[in-house]
Amino acid sequence: MLRFRILAAALMIVAAGCSRAPQAVNEVVSLRVSKIPDTPPDAVWSNAPEHTAKLLLQDLVEPRLAKASTPEVKVRSVTNGSEIAFRLTWPDAVVNDVPEPGRFPDGCAVQIPRVREVDPPEPQMGQSSRPVDITFWRADWQASVNGRPDNIRSIYPNAAVDHYPFEAKSLEPGSAAQREMATRYSPAAASGNRRAGPRDVPVEDLVAEGPGTLSPRPGAGSRGKGEHGAAGWSVVIVRKSPQGLDVRTRTQIAFAVWEGSKQETGARKMRTGWIPLSVREAK
Amino acid sequence: MARVMNWQLGREMSYWYPESRPNKQFAAVFDTNKCIACQTCTLACKTTWTSGRGQEYMLWNNVESKPYGFYPLAWDLKLLESLEGGKWTGRKYEGQTIFEQAPAGERVLGWRPESQDYAYPNVGEDDCTGQIDGGASMAMPHMNWFFYLARICNHCTYPACLASCPRGSIYKRPEDGIVLVDQGRCRGYQECVKGCPYKKIFFNPMTGTSEKCIACFPKVEQGIQPQCFVNCIGKIRLAGWISKPENAKPENPIDYLVHVKKIALPLFPQFGLEPNVYYIPPVHVPTSFTRQMFGPGVDDAIKAYRNAKNDPDLASLLCLFGSSEMVMPRWKRQGDTVSGLDEKGNTLVKVPMNEPVHVRAAYDKLYQISRTNCP
Repeated sequence: MLRFRILAAALMIVAAGCSRAPQAVNEVVSLRVSKIPDTPPDAVWSNAPEHTAKLLLQDLVEPRLAKASTPEVKVRSVTNGSEIAFRLTWPDAVVNDVPEPGRFPDGCAVQIPRVREVDPPEPQMGQSSRPVDITFWRADWQASVNGRPDNIRSIYPNAAVDHYPFEAKSLEPGSAAQREMATRYSPAAASGNRRAGPRDVPVEDLVAEGPGTLSPRPGAGSRGKGEHGAAGWSVVIVRKSPQGLDVRTRTQIAFAVWEGSKQETGARKMRTGWIPLSVREAK
Repeated sequence: MARVMNWQLGREMSYWYPESRPNKQFAAVFDTNKCIACQTCTLACKTTWTSGRGQEYMLWNNVESKPYGFYPLAWDLKLLESLEGGKWTGRKYEGQTIFEQAPAGERVLGWRPESQDYAYPNVGEDDCTGQIDGGASMAMPHMNWFFYLARICNHCTYPACLASCPRGSIYKRPEDGIVLVDQGRCRGYQECVKGCPYKKIFFNPMTGTSEKCIACFPKVEQGIQPQCFVNCIGKIRLAGWISKPENAKPENPIDYLVHVKKIALPLFPQFGLEPNVYYIPPVHVPTSFTRQMFGPGVDDAIKAYRNAKNDPDLASLLCLFGSSEMVMPRWKRQGDTVSGLDEKGNTLVKVPMNEPVHVRAAYDKLYQISRTNCP
């Protein structure tokens, strides 16, 4: 009987190898590659080991998430030494990429401690003087990068607008006066807080030193690309490789997923604790 | 949660932060009996502040016909249902506030309006509470009724929007108590929209942040009343500063109306925010309704208001409403004239209690025509 079980297991391994099933790993292992893939379907990802990260309720700080939603996120990673890329895949039947009152976009994020250390900071957004770097992807930003126009009719197709002051005939389109008038009615943009509007990349670099401290980290230069299909979202996030991370070292990483249809936003999210992150040379 | 004193409830209550009152608190009195729902205030605000992309649906100031008008839909009913109306014993609130009834994992008891809830800014406008049968409108008290409720942000002493924000992006200015959203810090989580029971904070989908009434602070800083006040053709509004009841100064018009005469009452005090816009309740509405809306002081407020004709001080102060664009922190009556004063006692405006009346003959002999009354 025991011999039969061993044989069956061996056959399963062979069968798995034939269908090129990913190698499952119990930590996030980033495979050394020469070129970082920018899109989710890139063939390079099939060589990378896959880690299935169980997602937990964010129930440590108010406002908490009351009910669990996305159960897990599948993660693959590759690195070329200077950059590290992650592909996050999770099931989601419906695209939520329109932010409006009471509606929220789907999203995901990758969090890595600023300093690589044996005892990492709190996995819940870091802690005072022990920052964590976060790269955040959102479906509405992706829609904007994909070409969705930056106007109210892209959200409400039947919206009727009589007039915007910055579209007055006396203001030449694109002129300094016209831009000044537009900024006057867009206080967040005037403050340099670009939560919406046209974007070059669908991701945002952030730093946090505890819950409620999230701040922009300009110049970090991360990029990304999210695609939705029958299996749900598949999102690539590319950021600078954590300092000192190579095949001989390791650090920690955490993930978060927001399900827009469940009104998940901010602290209302599914998240992981710290997961070891290491680098492996390609065979 | 901290324990703080809410004088409108007559007791301490729980709040997310410790009590920290501003040096001065912006406040206002609205006389609902004078409002004609012309929406001039609404447009004055709209054209000044919310003409941008993503602000199309926003009305920082709105006027709704009660009981059936809402903006957003059912904003008050949804919470009243949760609070079961709220229970008072005398002037003390015995029920729970939205802070005290916050579910586990939440900072306040709230709900999220959706886009369509804002789509009908005053559904039921001018619908009264029932069918008017022949002659019924002539009977007193009216069998059926409605009234107009003008609303702005209440710049609450204990703002639920501020308590709800997990990022501390909302702040209450120590110099004037005006509640603002830091547009550089907000990340558009809409927790404030969920938390504010008055639904006077709005998510802007084009900027991705939440925005709200700013009490026209650039004007208030210059000693001028906000746009919705100075443009009110019904002269229902008076802006100023309110003290705690124990520090009330009769020469302060807001203190006089709220604390001395007690004719102006907070909107849904049972929510627990200590809102700073005070309403003179409508005199023609059954107090079973207005008591739930303005608290247990309604009957006395109406009695005092109705008695204004025998109370020259009160009558004169009511004449100051809409008399000047300047904020009048002090006032005084001399004979049948009332004056609005600045902090130093300088006169800002002088108003007669009774406007001169000129009666014109029905027939104009000079032009040989009959005059008619314009509707």
